[in-house]
Amino acid sequence: MKRRRIDMKKKYSYLTLILLTAFTLILTACGQKDETASEKEESGADLLQQIKDRGTLKVGLMGTYQPYNFLNDKKEMDGFDADISKELAKRLGVDVEFVSQEFSGMVAGLQTKKFDAVISQMTITDDRKKQMDFTEPYITNNVKVIVQEKNNNVKSVEDFKGKNIGVGLGTNDETYLRTELLPEVGDFTIKTYDDVITSLKDLNSGRIDATINNMYALKPVVEKNGFKIKAVGEPVKSDQAGIAIRKGNESLLKELNKHLADMKEDGTYKEIFVKWFGEEPQE
Amino acid sequence: MDVIWTNLPFLLKGAYYTLLITIISMFFGSIIAVIVAVARLKGNKFIRWIARAYVSIIRGTPTLVQIIIVYYGLADYGLNLQPLTAAYIALSISIGAYLSETLRGAIQSIPKGQYEAAYASGMSPYQTMRRIVFPQAIRVAIPPAGNTFIGMLKETSLVSVITVTELLRSAQLLIAQYYVYMPFYLAIALMYWIMSTGFSFVLERIEKRLSIYD
Repeated sequence: MKRRRIDMKKKYSYLTLILLTAFTLILTACGQKDETASEKEESGADLLQQIKDRGTLKVGLMGTYQPYNFLNDKKEMDGFDADISKELAKRLGVDVEFVSQEFSGMVAGLQTKKFDAVISQMTITDDRKKQMDFTEPYITNNVKVIVQEKNNNVKSVEDFKGKNIGVGLGTNDETYLRTELLPEVGDFTIKTYDDVITSLKDLNSGRIDATINNMYALKPVVEKNGFKIKAVGEPVKSDQAGIAIRKGNESLLKELNKHLADMKEDGTYKEIFVKWFGEEPQE
Repeated sequence: MDVIWTNLPFLLKGAYYTLLITIISMFFGSIIAVIVAVARLKGNKFIRWIARAYVSIIRGTPTLVQIIIVYYGLADYGLNLQPLTAAYIALSISIGAYLSETLRGAIQSIPKGQYEAAYASGMSPYQTMRRIVFPQAIRVAIPPAGNTFIGMLKETSLVSVITVTELLRSAQLLIAQYYVYMPFYLAIALMYWIMSTGFSFVLERIEKRLSIYD
């Protein structure tokens, strides 16, 4: 009996070893395949035509980023991004369908065709251009340092050293903090959040010392929640956000750019901008 | 594959937090479980009711919701817990409820005759519990408790929402940097698997050691 047990045990340890090896092999294989997968382009019918046939433009956005994109009192997607999306869809002659999800999964959502376009304040960067195609910028955002109202120690990014800094996971701001600012000003801790509200909440309760974000995004959240926070100093950087679509869909990109230009021309764009930010767009 | 090797230290640090949170929550969760299990079996009506309500509420709500309540919810009332502390508290409370049920069943599986024999030999109820019932009950409870612990190891991934950079979040951070998914997710899957296999191994050893009376 005892003998048998030992044999069994041996058998199991072999099995474990085999499984482990198999797993590692899969891991290796996938690692290699991945590099080509991201460059793969859309196959089959033209995406613009697909959208028109389908009758809906599927737009990916966060849905938690006031005043850009959020659920309004009627539980409908609302905000600057939403209005731009609706206007674009109207000009394409289709309905708009919103798919809301965390920003960190936005690129994956687009690649896996969960939606046709990302209209969610996605800043145009060289890194992202390798993954996706962007339209012409549809908005410029100034990013500022935000701290608690009573905080007078942190006046600019130079004061970040040794502090806890919050930022949205997978955002362009995170990349900026990690790859540009961190080596420049010295060690600070980066805390990542899935949306803007939670990062501001943690800032308000003092669990982080500062965050960086743009003023437009801040205003409604602060007003609604009564957060005691303020923006300080000069803008850290200016970001231009564009509409992101999967690579290799030239006709859709052209069409979107044309409609964006038309919107700016005929004043619709200005109307939407003033509606959400209470001031005229600076160009 | 290279991206995994160059970022392995980063992922291992995430795995360290995953293990740390699991072990600390397991420890405090077990203490809660013992208290609640005994309260449900031996307490007066009021204590029993409280214990039942606790188990019912915790088992009936998602762990993610509990974590967010402890971290963001309490902050509304001025209680600002650090992310790790909040994770320990939320997960200990959560695992305590599941474990207490396991333990209650195990305690109930010890025949009445054993209590009677212990009392007859002059032991107090406390001594009976500690010397006679618990040692046997724990052995019965280990396999199902093992399930709970391993479940717990994986549930630590939920604390990524409260800015703890555990294993899942480390992978997400790397993905946000490299835009490749599969290698990172497979790597952390493998790491989770190795860790839970380690847990099963340890539990198996404990079970063997406790079965010397058989």
